Amino acid sequence: MKLDAKIPEGRLEDKWRNYQLKSQLINPANKKKLKVIVVGSGLSGAGAAATLAELGYDIQCFFYQDSARRAHSVAAQGGINAAKNYQHDGDSIWRMFYDTLKGGDFRSREANTYRLAELSAPLIDHFTQQGVPFAREYGGVLVNRSFGGVQVQRTFYARGQTGQQLLLAAYSQLNKMVRQQKVTLFPRHEMMDLVLVDGVAKGIIARDLVTGELKRFAADAVVLATGGYSRVYRLSTLAIGCNGSAIWKAHKRGAFFAAPSFTQIHPTALPQSSESQSKLTLMSESLRNDGRIWVPLQKDDPRKPNDIPEAERDYYLERRYPSFGNLAPRDIASRAAKERIDAGFGVGRLKNAVYLDFRKAIADYGQQVVQDRYGNLFKMYKKITGINAYAEPMLISPAAHFSMGGLWVDYELMTTIPGLYAVGECNFSDHGANRLGANSLLQASVDGYFILPNTINNYLAASLATDTATVDDPAFEVVEQEVKDQIDRILSVHGKRTVDDFHRALGKIMWQECAMSRNKPGLEQAIEDIKALRTSFWSDVKVTGVARGLNTELEKALRLADFIELGILMCTDALQREESCGAHFREEYQTEEGEAQRRDDDFAYVSAWEYDPEAFQLHREELTFEYVQPSVRSYK
Amino acid sequence: MKSNRLFFRKNMIALTGLFLCLFLIVHLSANCLLLLPQDTARGLYNAYSTFLRENPLIMVVAYALYASILVHVVYAVLVLIRNRKAKPVKYAVNLHKENSSWASQNMGALGALILIFIIVHLVNFWARIKLGIGAEVAYDEAGNKDIYEVTYTLFQNVYYVAFYTLLAIPLGFHLHHGLQAAFKTLGFYHQPGLQWLAKVSLIYAIVISAGFGIIPIVVYFQ
Amino acid sequence: MQLTFRIWRQEQFQDKGAFKEYLVDHLTEDMSFLEALDHLNETLVLKGERVIAFEYDCREGICGQCGIFINGRAHGPHDHVTTCQLHLRSFQDGDTVTVEPWRAKAFPVVQDLIVDRSAFDRIIAQGGYISAKTGTAPEANAILIGKETADKAMDAAACIGCGACVATCKNGSAALFTSAKINHLNTLPQGKLEADQRVRDMTAQMEEEGFGHCSFTGACEVECPEGISIANIAEMNARYWKARLFA
Repeated sequence: MKLDAKIPEGRLEDKWRNYQLKSQLINPANKKKLKVIVVGSGLSGAGAAATLAELGYDIQCFFYQDSARRAHSVAAQGGINAAKNYQHDGDSIWRMFYDTLKGGDFRSREANTYRLAELSAPLIDHFTQQGVPFAREYGGVLVNRSFGGVQVQRTFYARGQTGQQLLLAAYSQLNKMVRQQKVTLFPRHEMMDLVLVDGVAKGIIARDLVTGELKRFAADAVVLATGGYSRVYRLSTLAIGCNGSAIWKAHKRGAFFAAPSFTQIHPTALPQSSESQSKLTLMSESLRNDGRIWVPLQKDDPRKPNDIPEAERDYYLERRYPSFGNLAPRDIASRAAKERIDAGFGVGRLKNAVYLDFRKAIADYGQQVVQDRYGNLFKMYKKITGINAYAEPMLISPAAHFSMGGLWVDYELMTTIPGLYAVGECNFSDHGANRLGANSLLQASVDGYFILPNTINNYLAASLATDTATVDDPAFEVVEQEVKDQIDRILSVHGKRTVDDFHRALGKIMWQECAMSRNKPGLEQAIEDIKALRTSFWSDVKVTGVARGLNTELEKALRLADFIELGILMCTDALQREESCGAHFREEYQTEEGEAQRRDDDFAYVSAWEYDPEAFQLHREELTFEYVQPSVRSYK
Repeated sequence: MKSNRLFFRKNMIALTGLFLCLFLIVHLSANCLLLLPQDTARGLYNAYSTFLRENPLIMVVAYALYASILVHVVYAVLVLIRNRKAKPVKYAVNLHKENSSWASQNMGALGALILIFIIVHLVNFWARIKLGIGAEVAYDEAGNKDIYEVTYTLFQNVYYVAFYTLLAIPLGFHLHHGLQAAFKTLGFYHQPGLQWLAKVSLIYAIVISAGFGIIPIVVYFQ
Repeated sequence: MQLTFRIWRQEQFQDKGAFKEYLVDHLTEDMSFLEALDHLNETLVLKGERVIAFEYDCREGICGQCGIFINGRAHGPHDHVTTCQLHLRSFQDGDTVTVEPWRAKAFPVVQDLIVDRSAFDRIIAQGGYISAKTGTAPEANAILIGKETADKAMDAAACIGCGACVATCKNGSAALFTSAKINHLNTLPQGKLEADQRVRDMTAQMEEEGFGHCSFTGACEVECPEGISIANIAEMNARYWKARLFA
């Protein structure tokens, strides 16, 4: 199958406008006859659901949490980028486009990335209008701060709770449409599978997590907005419920999975402290604006951090990347930390962390200023670790964070299954091999609010002629039975190991072989190990409770079964891509200085994988760079 | 627009409560006359009482006062019933002392004690003076009803002294929380003002309860 | 370390629940409270029992999904903390810890420690938004908002919707939750046009849902993970009267 990204004609600046000029419209009277299912209530899901409802479509929105306000967009701390150039520091759409493309190590589409930058400015207007209390100057204008990987200040923020404020704005708009009876919410409902009728997405099977009942829902189009899948590593910055099941099920039904192994490892999370840990808490990247990262020059230095003199500290980011220093992009900062930790310079009880030090900032500007900027983060650090970070450096460590990979989508955000869309983190689109800080809230919002509502009509206009599918279609019965069988199968294993136990085992393999640094033998072994784990899971997992009723163990088990399969695909992808780019670092392909070595001649394409129970099939979408010449990504 | 009971009831309680707080200031100021030496106190106190009974304005205020007590109690009961319904199951362990004042958690019980006090107080004075129930009240040298004598006689009984003094304590707690809560209920949200209000409420509660608590003891030892 | 958990078990809303005791061993001080429950659940699975149902998601104190009444306090013994940020170092080895679901008529128990907080969503749906359609916004800096105003709105907007305020309130009042959203939106110039209608509708829904009256005990602001001030409730009261009398 030839992958067609459907990039519109024209100059880069005109593509999105040209697309909109040519796309089909649907008259308002007809829109209300069209049903759209949105799975997920995060920034992209709630934004899409609310906006589509405003346009007149009949929307059903599903999410596994008890309220739409809990989706994990809520946890993003630092901010959202927009090329407003309010700071008069030379920013522009073009520069933001270039930063994003370069930040992603030239593994994303020019047209998509440009559109992301182009729509960033109106998005800030949009959120301001919806009541997001962005930080302001005394004179009343919006404030910006800087984030990793760029040299301008284009990040807008609401304290350290930007994601929360944006999500609550989206949630409020969603509720506005609930009141107008244009959106029906299905809280505590998890999508179990996608239903295709004649190869076209026509509905889903969802499980009511309270009663355990399987329910069928039919629609004219299905939108997946289910977020990232870094919980495949078990320990990640994601919410415990975040999962890859919806996109995995879609993948198994025919949607291609793009760049699955591109996973961002965030450099500033709290280190793991024990085996029983369930989650790694993120400390916003904004801390790197004023915090300096270092390790002792001497291995196993027994001294307390404050007792180590300046001359005996290795500020390795400042040393290796003098021009970006502590604000080097995430993949680079994480890898540099891993390099130091692996070399034996790690600090903390388990020697798995580095220091993030605010001594200089406090000395330069005083504690009050630092407190104004990061007070809530310091408070959070104290809550979790019991340590006062004003007095001694924080201990931080890399943690699995964002999935650049996801379902392959074209310029219209449609997957390879007609009628199935993927928006936000669950698609692969705009970030290439590495995402810049404060671009995830942006992409999720832009996808949901601005792009999908302008592209879905192009598909739905054609489907007006055909009747809306009903749940009586035999396809629904078949899929429902398959879901039921899967549930019964898990519950009937009656093995000896808990779901969490298997998840820990999977996480260990993935973190060891498919995280910050990868190599051929390791990945090959990992694939074997995960396959063995899969066999062992289906013969030895123990899940108590019933199918018809609330059963949190069953939920976890179903998600893990998909994670295990996804893990195999991630390793397969990482193995196949014999180059280093962005977050994907293959040890075989590095410069003498240990930097990532891209191989544009052989790998300037998006890997889109087709599901095949025997062996995943690779399809290539060649990346052509018309406007920007891929260069060596240097932050030195 | 339909009135919201959650607001209406609390506002009625707050308004009547504040009126009663005002009344307590007047009542206590006058009662301070009882702290003077007996000879001086008797004349002044009886004259004052006569003035109150005969002034038409005060008579209107008096009816407002009865109404306030009634409204305060009725709405408090309605609020209590709804609050009970809103919290049908209690916690097995609840350390509310760690997050709120004892008085604020027990306004209903404190209010009930105060209501008992008011009833006894009315029987002791109001019923006898206004309704003429019980022994007839004598007249003093100036021709005023000798209310002082009624008070003096009552507070020669050590049980009444104890009752009046002890019940000034729940009154103090009730007022301490009630005064500030009333202002907030009515929509006073000015931040520095709220801190100031907390202090004023404390001083007010101490003065009122100490004042009313001391008077019976002083009269007893006259 | 070792703890005895005394946990409320209840099959579903209609059923009667009861406390059940679990002695849990092999705990460590740096475990979070929820990780201790995870650990307990793993032992229950191995024994073939139904696990304890409890809620969580982000485990970093922002999603608001976790919420348990622990040893007599909403979210446990500390002020301004969510359950997921409570760690076992706050307990002594050998302690007995009583674990109960949020209690309020408007928050019916779903199972064990899980309650239904959809009443909050329904309050928000009655005006907890600014009616701004996508694509209609003016330039962001066209509306100047002073830092103090933005900060004040942000203080109220920080609410995570966990329900600790209702849980700890002896009256089961949702005044802090409702007032936080009203003040967030009514403080900002963008929210002013719908201010009065918002107050009327949201408070009416609050009444409809069966929450109790606010009597300003102040417990809510102590248990609120975001430390949202009770002055918000007073401000909502003022806004209510303004909406009723002058609008």
